[in-house]
Amino acid sequence: MTLGLEERWTLIDRISKATVTFGKYEHTLKDAIGELTVKPLTGIPVAIAILYGFWSVFGSFAGTLCTDGFFVKLFDGYWLPWIQEAFPGQGDLLYRILVDAGGIDSGEFVLSDNCFEAFGALTSGLFVAIGVVLPAIVIFYLMLALLEDVGYMPRLAVLIDTMLHKIGLHGYAIVPTILSLGCNVPGVAATRILETKKQRFIMMTLLAIFIPCGAQIGIMEKVVPDLLGWILLYLLIGYFIFGYILNKIVPGRAPEFLIDVPPYRRPLLGNIAKKVGGRIRGFFTVALPFVMLGCAIVSVLYLLGVIQFLGDLLAPIFVNWFGVPAETAGPLVAAFLRKDLAVAQLSVIEMTEYQMITAVVLVSIYFPCVATFAMMLKEGWKELLGALAALVVVVFAYGGLIHLIGILLGVA
Amino acid sequence: MAATGQSQSTASSGAAIYFAILGIVTTAFGLADILVTAAGSEFGYGILEIPNDIFRGGWGGLIVLSAGLFYLSGTRNIGDIHQFAKVAMGSILIWIMAGCDIFAMITESIPGGEDGPWLNTLPGFLEVYASPYAPAVLLLPFSLVVIYYIYQRK
Repeated sequence: MTLGLEERWTLIDRISKATVTFGKYEHTLKDAIGELTVKPLTGIPVAIAILYGFWSVFGSFAGTLCTDGFFVKLFDGYWLPWIQEAFPGQGDLLYRILVDAGGIDSGEFVLSDNCFEAFGALTSGLFVAIGVVLPAIVIFYLMLALLEDVGYMPRLAVLIDTMLHKIGLHGYAIVPTILSLGCNVPGVAATRILETKKQRFIMMTLLAIFIPCGAQIGIMEKVVPDLLGWILLYLLIGYFIFGYILNKIVPGRAPEFLIDVPPYRRPLLGNIAKKVGGRIRGFFTVALPFVMLGCAIVSVLYLLGVIQFLGDLLAPIFVNWFGVPAETAGPLVAAFLRKDLAVAQLSVIEMTEYQMITAVVLVSIYFPCVATFAMMLKEGWKELLGALAALVVVVFAYGGLIHLIGILLGVA
Repeated sequence: MAATGQSQSTASSGAAIYFAILGIVTTAFGLADILVTAAGSEFGYGILEIPNDIFRGGWGGLIVLSAGLFYLSGTRNIGDIHQFAKVAMGSILIWIMAGCDIFAMITESIPGGEDGPWLNTLPGFLEVYASPYAPAVLLLPFSLVVIYYIYQRK
């Protein structure tokens, strides 16, 4: 049976009368709160409060409770002494790579007394992966999943849209940015939600340079907690400055975006568990092997004297251009493979607060970790080369600028 | 009908006065947080302690100040849903701040410390919850009143 045009409209009218209720819609409290969180004047204070809550819970759970409360004790008090005793060949090459690089005192091999200084794949590697990164990643992704499921993330995207347009992106770029604060690998994968090549390139480059991952933030919070705010502030400023420059010089389009903002909803436990579980599994299978492998390679390079050699070679640049002590050259070179351990190494070098901020910012912007590097390669070698070229320029320009600011302020 | 309207209006004006006072106190606490942090000094009085670190005092102070301004801005014509939402938002900001402070206390109270046992002793556990408290924790019970008004609106 075929319906004519008039009959179709009649049918549509009948169906809509039977299924749609017409009346005056009254705003509910949920609607009104939803509106408040997207208007800049009221939405920005709310965003500031939510980010505060995010970081406060992150620090309390990952830092105070898990790492400092239990894992430091477990690894330094039980695991390290046990494996130092149980692993054969104390002082051998394999022992120093896997268990404890140790030190030499009066010609004798001396064991380390904590997992931060041991630099073995089975000690520092495991401690960083399980004791520092894992709690940080768990709480980070839990909080993120909560914000997503409540319906706050689209509102944050709308709120920040104007600002991100200045750097050639749009509001949804906040998703890869925040994901990268947990681990850069899913962050780079999430750049695919952006429409144009230009946007994806800008986003990937900014993530690789200016967004520290959960591992780095976890270590920073443990070893330089007082300076964390300043370090993140420098990274945030760099994100916008270099995003603006990239937007001006990279050809291509940066279109507007349309977004459906859903109402606030009660999060479902099953959804949250699925999301967090999937992301943590992804971290374990993609990023964690690189964490362990990176630790072993850094140990080998240290033992072979490669890092010392490169450090000595590059020390004049670090001292004169970046204004950091010559001793930081080694950790900064090692940061190519292990940014988190490099931060830990920097924390024991004697330097001023400003030099410490500069050095840790340099570690962050210096090079993407190996896992992110591999992920960027998957997105295309042209993009990777472009991002690396931008990175070299940014490291020298921004590192030099921070030094210059320090000189002008009289603190460098 | 008229009596219901009158009682609603009385409740609205009661709520407006309550949240105006709470707004003034909250704004004062927010400003105090920021000033104490900016001065780098310490301030404590009785069960009140104003944090002076850049995270809790500076960033947190800004949030407490915003909560106060939300309250004050929402008290005019509080019967309107959009205005009342501002008051509710003020309370939500206080809950975020106080919730973070209380969560920090919980996480601090559980482990037994570097040289102690795995879990804290009972006196050590309870000690963490003793006063002094940050302004947001002291404001928390007063901010909960908004729940009563939310149910009353329903």
